Amino acid sequence: MATRLMFENSCEVGVFSKLTNAYCLVAIGGSENFYSAFEAELADAIPVVKTSIAGTRIIGRLCAGNKNGLLVPHTTTDQELQQLRNSLPDQVVVQRIEERLSALGNCVACNDHVALTHTDLDKETEEIIADVLGVEVFRQTIAGNILVGSYCAFSNRGGLVHPHTSIEDLDELSTLLQVPLVAGTVNRGSDVIAAGMTVNDWTAFCGSDTTATELSVIESVFKLREAQPSAIVDEMRKSLIDTYV
Amino acid sequence: MVQYNFKKITVVPNGKDFIDIILSRTQRQTPTVVHKGYAISRLRQFYMRKVKYTQQNFHEKLSTIIDEFPRLDDIHPFYGDLLHVLYNKDHYKLALGQINTARNLIGKIAKDYVKLLKYGDSLYRCKSLKVAALGRMCTVIKRISPSLAYLEQIRQHMARLPSIDPNTRTILICGYPNVGKSSFMNKITRADVDVQPYAFTTKSLFVGHTDYKYLRYQVIDTPGILDRPFEDRNIIEMCSITALAHLRAAVLFFLDISGSCGYSIAQQAALFHSIKSLFMNKPLIIVCNKTDLQPLDGLSEEDTKLVTEMKAEALKTVMGQGGEPTNEEGVLLTMSTLTEDGVIAVKNAACERLLDQRVELKMKSKKINDCLNRFHVAIPKPRDQKERPPCIPQAVLEAKAKQAAEKEKKKTEKDLENENGGAGVYSASLRKNYILANDEWKEDIMPEILDGHNVYDFVDPDILLRLEELEQEEGLRQAEEGDEDFEMDGIDLTPEEQKALAEIRKKKSLLIQQHRIKKSTAESRPIIPRKFDKDREFTTERMGRQLSQLGLDPSLAVDRARSKSRGRKRERSLDRRDSDGEAMDMDIDQPSKKLRLRSRSQSRSKSRPPSEVVPGEGFKDSKQKVKAIKLGKKSVRKRNKDARRGEADRVIPTLKPKHLFSGKRSIGKTQRR
Repeated sequence: MATRLMFENSCEVGVFSKLTNAYCLVAIGGSENFYSAFEAELADAIPVVKTSIAGTRIIGRLCAGNKNGLLVPHTTTDQELQQLRNSLPDQVVVQRIEERLSALGNCVACNDHVALTHTDLDKETEEIIADVLGVEVFRQTIAGNILVGSYCAFSNRGGLVHPHTSIEDLDELSTLLQVPLVAGTVNRGSDVIAAGMTVNDWTAFCGSDTTATELSVIESVFKLREAQPSAIVDEMRKSLIDTYV
Repeated sequence: MVQYNFKKITVVPNGKDFIDIILSRTQRQTPTVVHKGYAISRLRQFYMRKVKYTQQNFHEKLSTIIDEFPRLDDIHPFYGDLLHVLYNKDHYKLALGQINTARNLIGKIAKDYVKLLKYGDSLYRCKSLKVAALGRMCTVIKRISPSLAYLEQIRQHMARLPSIDPNTRTILICGYPNVGKSSFMNKITRADVDVQPYAFTTKSLFVGHTDYKYLRYQVIDTPGILDRPFEDRNIIEMCSITALAHLRAAVLFFLDISGSCGYSIAQQAALFHSIKSLFMNKPLIIVCNKTDLQPLDGLSEEDTKLVTEMKAEALKTVMGQGGEPTNEEGVLLTMSTLTEDGVIAVKNAACERLLDQRVELKMKSKKINDCLNRFHVAIPKPRDQKERPPCIPQAVLEAKAKQAAEKEKKKTEKDLENENGGAGVYSASLRKNYILANDEWKEDIMPEILDGHNVYDFVDPDILLRLEELEQEEGLRQAEEGDEDFEMDGIDLTPEEQKALAEIRKKKSLLIQQHRIKKSTAESRPIIPRKFDKDREFTTERMGRQLSQLGLDPSLAVDRARSKSRGRKRERSLDRRDSDGEAMDMDIDQPSKKLRLRSRSQSRSKSRPPSEVVPGEGFKDSKQKVKAIKLGKKSVRKRNKDARRGEADRVIPTLKPKHLFSGKRSIGKTQRR
């Protein structure tokens, strides 16, 4: 099920949170509204952790992770690392990595099996990603954007990518990731997909600007609520054509 | 989003107000004081400015009117025709034309009078010319005041027009008066249109919005139309006709098959046939309303025939658009707004057919090629035998299964926050959800780390004890010193020598004290301004003498005067004052510079020492550079000591430059001449 919410009047919820199948990180805000939106949805299943990374609230853009592990940038302080270590289950490996491109969330997009990374990432970092997250790593771009972490969001069941991705690219990426992919937008036409939403295998959170059409595309492609990706080409096709063209 | 918004047109003042506004602005914003004795050129300038300024203001105001009112030829033909129907195009154009003429006339008047003013030879003549110019301008405005009043009325009416977007998905409801158009509108949108049991309840277009398949549709309720020749139709009906003619919409033609609206089916069919040309190329649905009073099957034979004829016509329009001619359903529908029978079916059919038509059109456009990738779902081809299953915790699946049964509300942080004083007051514990082997560990005190060191490692637990020891030791030593006041370098002195030494020391300390006093008073500034104290007579000493002559104790006054005397700049600084107050009491010696640096954040970069040689500076090594710096400092030391002017001091070469303080000042020449 997809939920629409806001972080302190900003619709970029993917910036302020990180959702995986084993845990959810949420930025520390002025009030508990944002945290409680996640808590109500997830707290029975996985830990929802309030944390900062490198003293900032843009945790979704700074860290990368899946159910196996969490990678945090070298700017993370010891206290934050301790907070994460204490709050996450023991089978999740938390690793601080020395990487020049410290906004790992923007440079790495991953599910539990595959990861796409920025083309300029260190060789060492690539190895760490493969080991800690237990994934195959591919250096890729999405619609010519090297920030793969920002311009796509995918779970083990489906994925949404930048709206300008060509059909050939879509097919290639889909074969790499082994999940169905759709080009689309969030937050009323925003193309920074991962900034506008955060998703795991059974739920998604989008910015509150997201339109009904966008939300139904998201629910179909990520197979939330029994919807199937084929719905996008069948019953939703006309609505999509009328909105986009 | 809405392109046509007539709500933002500026208010058009009536003729009298218009003149008042402009003239008072001229009065307020141009100079008002003038004298006979001024040079004639200045007088002319004064009045010319008034005339020109007035003309400018008139021009501005009239231009905004002309620009802000929509030009009927430039806007969407739907709005063009609607405005024509409501306000009469000719009248509207004439009014705007008059405004334009007035603008030109005023411009010409101003030009003429400015020319005449150039020949004015006295204040009186110039003033008369100005009065005449302004008077003529006002007359022009007075003459167009009916047009201004008309435009103001139109503006008020236009601001209340519904914001219809002519290009979006639109459903248009039309039919005879009193057939249930507005009731249907109220059923499918939240527009809340007035519904009454008499004809022409709806007198203008109304807009509501409804959703279908994730899209928003604009629903337009039109006033009823009567079957009569085009020329005889009134303004209310013409609104409907305009909307039908110009909007690309799905049209719902409402048919009251019970005849309770006061018109027979034959009359309604006649209307349908007379306006069917307006339905061309639009998805058309004939809606038989009020089936609760009269079901469609129970109609008499001729009525049924009329209805089937209409259906055939409606099918033709479908064919005209090149759509599916075989698709018969969704052309004739029945419903009852009273029992809400079939209302949603009608809405869905209308939306679906409109969407089909729009999609068909858009598929033909070129733009579709840019968006093709968005309608494509990339399905992965298997590249290896690896299984990549989704990972959904058991708890979620259970919760999903349970959800159907019941859903108990969990107490979230937000609820806690609201219970405990709201946002900003409640501070949630970050440790609450720690996953640790033992729950009691959650609130354990964590070591505080600074610069990679545990702060606790540097804490001495028995520091108080040690302080006490030190103090005791110090006390012992002081007692010893009191005894051996005159011991010098371990040599015992004879009593005379001791006495002499004490004398010497006393004298010496006295000298030092005196010197200090002298120095401090010499440095302080006199409280009496120097210009009243040219001979330096008013000293503190003199005050003391005088006071004691009067038989008063001068010490308090003298002390006060001294304390008030201004110290040197450095003595006045804040931290200096603090330091000799409290900080000096603490006898903790400042840790060495290196130590202090260490305790600060290590991430800060250190600045380069001045002696470091930077390539390009021209020094051989740092020794040479140090020498050069020393020499440079030495060369300015004397000058600085004498407080002489150096090349780095601020210099104002001429305090009153002649070019800024001579000559006559005309308007706007205070800064530069």
